Amino acid sequence: MTRRVFLGLLAVYFGLPLLAALLYSVATRWTDTPLPDGYTLSHWINVFAKPDVVGALGRSLLLSAVVVVIEIVLVVPAAYWSVVHNPRIGSMIQTIAVIPFAIPWVVVGAGIQLVTKSVAPQLFGTFWLLAASTAAISFPFMYRAVESSLLAAGAVQLSEAAATCGASPMRTLLKVIVPAIRGGVVSGALLVIATAMNEFALAKILVGVSFETLPLWSARQFVSRTLGDPNALAVVTIFTFGLLFALSALVVWLGRGRVSASMGGNTIS
Amino acid sequence: MLTRRLSPRRFLTRWGPALPLLVFTTATLVLPAIMLVYESFALPDGGLGFEHITKVASNPVDRQAIGGSLALGVVQATLATAIGAPAAWLITRMRLGGRAFWLSLMNVASNFAGIGLAFGFVALIGSTGMLTLILKALLGVEGNPFPSTGSFNGMNLVYLYFNVPMFVLLTLPALSVLKNDWQEAAEVCKATRWQFWRYVGIPVLSPFVIAGWLLVFTWTIGVYAVAYAVAASPGSQKLITLQIGTTLETSVFGLGRAAVLSVLLMILAIGATVLYRLCLKRAARWL
Repeated sequence: MTRRVFLGLLAVYFGLPLLAALLYSVATRWTDTPLPDGYTLSHWINVFAKPDVVGALGRSLLLSAVVVVIEIVLVVPAAYWSVVHNPRIGSMIQTIAVIPFAIPWVVVGAGIQLVTKSVAPQLFGTFWLLAASTAAISFPFMYRAVESSLLAAGAVQLSEAAATCGASPMRTLLKVIVPAIRGGVVSGALLVIATAMNEFALAKILVGVSFETLPLWSARQFVSRTLGDPNALAVVTIFTFGLLFALSALVVWLGRGRVSASMGGNTIS
Repeated sequence: MLTRRLSPRRFLTRWGPALPLLVFTTATLVLPAIMLVYESFALPDGGLGFEHITKVASNPVDRQAIGGSLALGVVQATLATAIGAPAAWLITRMRLGGRAFWLSLMNVASNFAGIGLAFGFVALIGSTGMLTLILKALLGVEGNPFPSTGSFNGMNLVYLYFNVPMFVLLTLPALSVLKNDWQEAAEVCKATRWQFWRYVGIPVLSPFVIAGWLLVFTWTIGVYAVAYAVAASPGSQKLITLQIGTTLETSVFGLGRAAVLSVLLMILAIGATVLYRLCLKRAARWL
């Protein structure tokens, strides 16, 4: 009995905030009654015609795409060399990879701001600074995904075979290894996209209003609630949630069999 | 091996392809951490000293923020453990359908984060929130019976939404180390349920539970997005992360203060992470 009550309360607790946001996104008028006066899909249609929302969504997508490209270019060769030639690379990178898990991103942002101020002040508030910082905090996802699929694909044997056939390391990487680890790269990219789409601290600290991403847009609406549009915010909230959930479900689906490490793995170091 | 000097060529063949990543992460993660430590001791005249640190320590708002973050971290870690540990245990004992439902619910909850989560709670328990209006209509409750989401209690209510699923998802795999056979063996030996937990269950599981506690603590003191959103109303709870954010935004020259607070968070987070690793190492004996 207590078990039922406990689990029931827990389910209600997890369900209600989501339900409230969902209802807000389809309510016609909802001021002083327990449930909305009526339901409509017009907010969903209108929101994605608002230039500020479309702009913010576009900026977030652009950021995600650039971050994914940066990470593939940086991580794949490093992970490949670590697995095949020099394991000390791996242990060094694992040590650095603890930083974004342990140290809060707002602190990472403060540090990057400090370094930028003294080294390259012209980068301040630019898209590239945000992209590089986002790539820095999310690189462990990509590294781990790529490394585990290199091991699973037998990269050592594959490179030996390629070398025996006379392929150069570069050619081996591009023609043999990359096709073999596509799955890992895709899983890593999905986790990186989920991070980049929802990242708030770095964007707020490093670029602020000059590059308004979707989370920054949401925050602006939320903070100026009286002026903002709660229905639009509800739509964006549910949209972001759906996107993140779909991405994490996709990661699980791609990694069937070795699920537990990547799910909720955002937090496990 | 180490004593032999590497020729540049040999160095490149050993490290070359990893250099871009190593240089990049050093510049964006390691260097900023070092700079923060340096900046918290740097004085305007170029020397080093404790001026920034004493300034933060004597600033009442910063002290409130430090106290608030520590208290929130401890309360959250304790509540998430108290709710998450029994929930995880119940989930592992469920039949397949129930377990799948609860795992998806936890995954759903862990994806509802950031500003959106703050909005969800305001839409639920704000002054015109759904639950507030339902209580008014059904029970005639006047005013808002719920804590403001920006208050300490309100933040606790909101933070549990991501901390409980995180604790559950983290400890769920660990709970399977407690084999069903052990419980049966204990029963055969006529051990009571209490004795089983006292002498087997708790000793085996406690390192995992403590590890979960530490991780929730670390995560909680570093939260920024949700905190920023719920603390937008005046008079709300002060937190270290929020102080860092406002300092960075309002003054380009107040970096020393932000650096001290950042280093404080860094020390707390690194300390908790080291303890977390030690706990898991100890727990791994049973795996």
